[in-house]
Amino acid sequence: MKRNLMTIVIGAVLIVIFALLLFVFQVRRSEVAVVTTFGKPTRNLTEPGAYGKWPWPVEKVYKFDQRVQNFEDRFSQNLTADNNNLLVMVYVGWKISDAKAFFPKFAGGSTVAAQNMLESMLRSAKSAVVGRHPLADFVNADAKQLKFDAIESEIEQAVQSQLQTNNCGIEIAFLGIKKLGLPENVTETVFQRMTSERQILISQFQYEGEAEAQKIKSAADRQAAETIANADAAATRIRGEGEAAAARVLPVFQQNPELANFLLRISALQQSLNQRATLIFDERTPPFDLFQHLPTNAPSR
Amino acid sequence: MSRDHEPDHTHEPPAPAPVTPDDAGSQALAEALHSSFAIVKVVMLLMVLAFFSSGFFTVGPSEKAVILRFGRPVGEAGKVLLNSGWHWSYPYPIDEVVKIPITEIQKVNSTVGWYATTPEQELSGEELPAGASLNPAVDGYAITADRNIIHTRAMLYYHIENPIHFVFDFVSASNTMQNVLNNALLYTAAHFNVDDVLTRDVAGFRDAVLQRVSDLTEQEQLGIVIDQCEVQSVPPRQLKDVFSRVTSARENRNKLLNEAHSYENQVLSQSGAQAASITNAAAADRARFVESITAEAKRFSDLLPKYESNPGLFAQQTLVQMMGPILTNVQDKIFLPGRADGKPRELRLMLNREPPQPKTAAPNP
Repeated sequence: MKRNLMTIVIGAVLIVIFALLLFVFQVRRSEVAVVTTFGKPTRNLTEPGAYGKWPWPVEKVYKFDQRVQNFEDRFSQNLTADNNNLLVMVYVGWKISDAKAFFPKFAGGSTVAAQNMLESMLRSAKSAVVGRHPLADFVNADAKQLKFDAIESEIEQAVQSQLQTNNCGIEIAFLGIKKLGLPENVTETVFQRMTSERQILISQFQYEGEAEAQKIKSAADRQAAETIANADAAATRIRGEGEAAAARVLPVFQQNPELANFLLRISALQQSLNQRATLIFDERTPPFDLFQHLPTNAPSR
Repeated sequence: MSRDHEPDHTHEPPAPAPVTPDDAGSQALAEALHSSFAIVKVVMLLMVLAFFSSGFFTVGPSEKAVILRFGRPVGEAGKVLLNSGWHWSYPYPIDEVVKIPITEIQKVNSTVGWYATTPEQELSGEELPAGASLNPAVDGYAITADRNIIHTRAMLYYHIENPIHFVFDFVSASNTMQNVLNNALLYTAAHFNVDDVLTRDVAGFRDAVLQRVSDLTEQEQLGIVIDQCEVQSVPPRQLKDVFSRVTSARENRNKLLNEAHSYENQVLSQSGAQAASITNAAAADRARFVESITAEAKRFSDLLPKYESNPGLFAQQTLVQMMGPILTNVQDKIFLPGRADGKPRELRLMLNREPPQPKTAAPNP
């Protein structure tokens, strides 16, 4: 009896597991699934989790990677609005957003088939958008005139709307320009132009250097001369101030011009006799006039 | 049926004799079955144990893990990631463990901006002679804002910050990173002039590339953090010479300008010094002049009363007072007394600029 119960439990567990395998399937976080009933897609599952289904002949589950897939188209030549040939390659991040729509569109949900279709859409969108813009929209030093982002989003929108009208179940996550190029013979002319531009730069640097240096030097000379002239003027003014100060003192001397005169002469005399002078006196010069009236022992004739 | 085939045994009743060995055999069989059943039970128990213990797993130091239960990440929004250590999950097919390398720094190189080269050539440093033009199928380059062609390449280091996005939203996130980097290089080159990229604003170019990359990765929700970005740009090999001549011309100009500036500094500081000495001399003159005239005025005022009291006497006194020190200082003093006969004396002078030998002081009369 005990053994029977055990057997029943084990049997039940086995049946449950078997039934689960038959009736339940799971969708991972990175997947989307579509359930077909008798070959016709009926349910779309985008959220991860466990789901129930009828076993095989009735319902069948197809799972797809719903992560963003990378795709790059060919590096193809397009004509810009101002008749320049420009090679453009874009990269696309795309993902399956609606497995129900995606599955019947491409045989068995083949991503290769999807990418082929994407490539043809990209080609037409790219040439249409590039044809609307001049080269200056692709490369421009002025950030306001550069339309790099706008071009990318225009291509993206064109592809996106085509995908929507065709109801492919595909969504573009992002699109960007991967590579830009010029036709091979054009690169040669670009090189020639660059060479001549460089040569202009070289001569410009030479002249600019000499002229600038000359300018700096002459400006320095001029400024130096100005400084000296200013200093001379200041010196004259300072001396003038001294004289003005002296003039304020002059009235003192006018109290007695005779004395002033005398003192001036005295000091002039003092100065002139200061060094290496030889003085010759006769007896009339004071203080030697004292000798005049002294009795001498000179014999008188 | 068996009876028909084996008539010899028909007259013998089914004897219990063969039963005994039969019984012994089945008993042995039953025992054997019993023991093997026990072994099977043990094995089953072990298998069940193994089934549950297979749920243990370790997460290494440089990775994180996510448990998917029925395909859905387990845990609240911020706690999905399991750190390094021991963890347990239900065995497959209920739970599934996804391990993600995280702290390790990933590297991606750009692929569109450089001319065709191989790693060996890169290492040895030799370059193949470049043709006259660039073949778009082989040689990569970027077009600058002034429509020049340059070669540029970038190396980006990043680490994964949000593995949920990185692993579950992208088939190949590192490929996407590469495209983002390529796009950033082209985009940035498209609004930089050639001289800015190559010489004038190399750091600015790198920062702009980095900015573009981080904008795009944020927009595309790649869940990564950029650690470092290295950008290298060179002029086309075809124009190497002319570009280097521009560089030397620029350096030459800078040298000239530097020389001019040093000349400027020298001249200006010299003139400044000279001006200062001129004004200082003038100020000194002024001070001395004013000082002396003031002193003289004071002396005048002091002497005035004396002079007024007796001008003649004062003059005599002053003169004599003055002559005293002068006479002691004077080198030669010659006194000529009048001749007795009253005739003037005759003197002969020999003028030398400097006397050859200083004479000893003349005797005082």
